[in-house]
Amino acid sequence: MIGKEFIGRESESVVLKIRSEEVRRFAEAIGISFDGEVPVTYVGTLLQAKIPGFELTDPGMVHGEQKITYQRPLSLGDSLTYKRRIKDVYERTSKLGKIMIVVLETTGYDLACELVFSSSSTLIIPVKEATNEESV
Amino acid sequence: MKSLFNYQVSDPLPIREWVPSHVQIRQYAEASGDFNPIHLDDNYARQVGLGGMIAHGMLTMAQMAVMLTEWIGKEGRISKLEVRFEQVVRPGDKITFSGSIRARSENIIECDIEACNDKEEIVLTGLVHIKQE
Repeated sequence: MIGKEFIGRESESVVLKIRSEEVRRFAEAIGISFDGEVPVTYVGTLLQAKIPGFELTDPGMVHGEQKITYQRPLSLGDSLTYKRRIKDVYERTSKLGKIMIVVLETTGYDLACELVFSSSSTLIIPVKEATNEESV
Repeated sequence: MKSLFNYQVSDPLPIREWVPSHVQIRQYAEASGDFNPIHLDDNYARQVGLGGMIAHGMLTMAQMAVMLTEWIGKEGRISKLEVRFEQVVRPGDKITFSGSIRARSENIIECDIEACNDKEEIVLTGLVHIKQE
């Protein structure tokens, strides 16, 4: 189970090129015709940068919030370096019982090391009370 | 069509409707690489207490962005998009996206945005900043 000790862990930097065929596939999946523009939420697909010891497969995990900020728009053919980092982990009691909140940050830079976008995903993971794990 | 420049504070944004299907959710999983079984396996989603399969939050957010992008056209671009997923969205739900202008400055339009299902429950709230070009 993820805990506060994960705060600050980050992935390696991953280099990627914004490719037409992948953006086209994404556009078709969200139901729009591909017009050469990169949809705003495309950066939500940048999941390849793995954070050591952290997997997004906890049972029942749902997405609570998402924030995306662009310094400039992404274009086809752009080369980016991005990495992901665990910004925060905390426990909370909701109407559904104890939950763990994980805030994941993704930042993308261009080849000149200029920030292109940053995004933050807030994930909600139900905590199984029966396991009697000590919360930190 | 009304230009982005003519929108004033409290003006409503265009409305867009969307009904997610199982096929689209599967397509989105493949295009995004998010294969969490809560989106793809009804039994699994029930076992973990979600009451059945749900759409990816990012797919709902993408639909919100489509509404905004169609409205903005070439007059601007989204510089910030922030959403909170208030309720789950399921295949077959009829989702209505809407919004209104909250504030505007020299070159930024700030809007409140929202999506509701056909039971009139709010499923998404948020804000967007549009930078005028």
